[in-house]
Amino acid sequence: MSIEPIVGRYLNLEVGGDKHRIYFEEAGSGLPLLCLHTAGADSRQYRHVMSDPAITSRYRVIAFDMPYHGRSNPPEGWWLTKYRLTTADYLAMIRAVWQALSLERPVVMGCSMGGAIVLAVAVEYQRELRGIVGLESSAFAPGRYNEFLHHPAIHGGELGATYTYALCAPQSPESSTRENWWLYSQAGPGVYAGDVYFYSLDWDGRKTIGQIDTRQCKVSLLTGEYDYSCTPEMTRQVAASIPGSRLVIMPGMGHFPMIENYRDFRAFLLPELEYMLDDHGR
Amino acid sequence: MFSLEWLTRLQTTLNDDPELGVIGDWFTVAMSLSSDHERCVLRFERGRLVQTISTPRLDTPCAFGFRASADIWRRFFADPPEPLYHDIFAMLMRVPGFVLEGDTLVAMQHARALHRAMRVLRTVSPS
Repeated sequence: MSIEPIVGRYLNLEVGGDKHRIYFEEAGSGLPLLCLHTAGADSRQYRHVMSDPAITSRYRVIAFDMPYHGRSNPPEGWWLTKYRLTTADYLAMIRAVWQALSLERPVVMGCSMGGAIVLAVAVEYQRELRGIVGLESSAFAPGRYNEFLHHPAIHGGELGATYTYALCAPQSPESSTRENWWLYSQAGPGVYAGDVYFYSLDWDGRKTIGQIDTRQCKVSLLTGEYDYSCTPEMTRQVAASIPGSRLVIMPGMGHFPMIENYRDFRAFLLPELEYMLDDHGR
Repeated sequence: MFSLEWLTRLQTTLNDDPELGVIGDWFTVAMSLSSDHERCVLRFERGRLVQTISTPRLDTPCAFGFRASADIWRRFFADPPEPLYHDIFAMLMRVPGFVLEGDTLVAMQHARALHRAMRVLRTVSPS
């Protein structure tokens, strides 16, 4: 028998005139590490990061569920609104959680759509950040949206889960990729499609990410070799736009490193978190 | 590419797959595989591959199928597969020569079992 160190709580806050009940989990103490889940998923994707003493001994790791995801409710009146995540709404929610939890100069780490928005977070708030860790980060990711993600004749949970299962690398452990399948199968109707709307249609950081000054805000970018949603080439383009950023292409890894193959991923992640902790010259 | 001998091995392997036995209750559909001038049809009933047709004619109904060149199929069957050729969804997004033809709605209605079947199929290397 064992009890994991992860503790979950609810945060009530108002963002953009809407009242939200947001679920978040945390573990550890030290420099805040705010983790952002992928489209159509939730904070459970970071359970291995939050249970790794090599990280929690020096970081206060926090992961929250975006509205409509996991254990966070949609806002009041959700039934009269088609869920479509936008860059502005996403940024506002991250900022609100960050401020509500009084996180001082955090590192913000996100994967996929989270890996995209961390670039926007850095553009907007680089003076208040220690750094960002972008997992599967792209500045522009067209081609992912399709109407079958929310269609009355298709089981959206099974399609979303199966599609994302395919985004894992063939080398990743079966039990882990299946766990990600299971998490994905639980998304609310249209939520994955609404997130992909942000990721694939609304998000375009190509003209702004060059404003990130890595002397103020460190940038580490890690992308899996087998990621076909955000290909290594797409992250190379991000790295080329941000002088001073660090780039790691992870062999034998897919789109969900923190959940599909944590054993191998931590070997790539730990040096980047060490880099974030190093305050030399700041 | 899709020889009679390969179709026989494919049928045995697919029907031995325990997962398709669990998730295949609604997987009753005919689908095709095409490569250059070759084409075959696989007919599934409740998750079991009950018939393979190596030279289908116009009286062989078929809802959808995957079409690609022999080179693309060979890269799909490679072990380990190279990135972008490792999964049907990866190829549908990033390999222009890999095409889902026919009724894509039917294909995606069967996404889970279809994906599993294609994963198993990838392990049955053509001779």
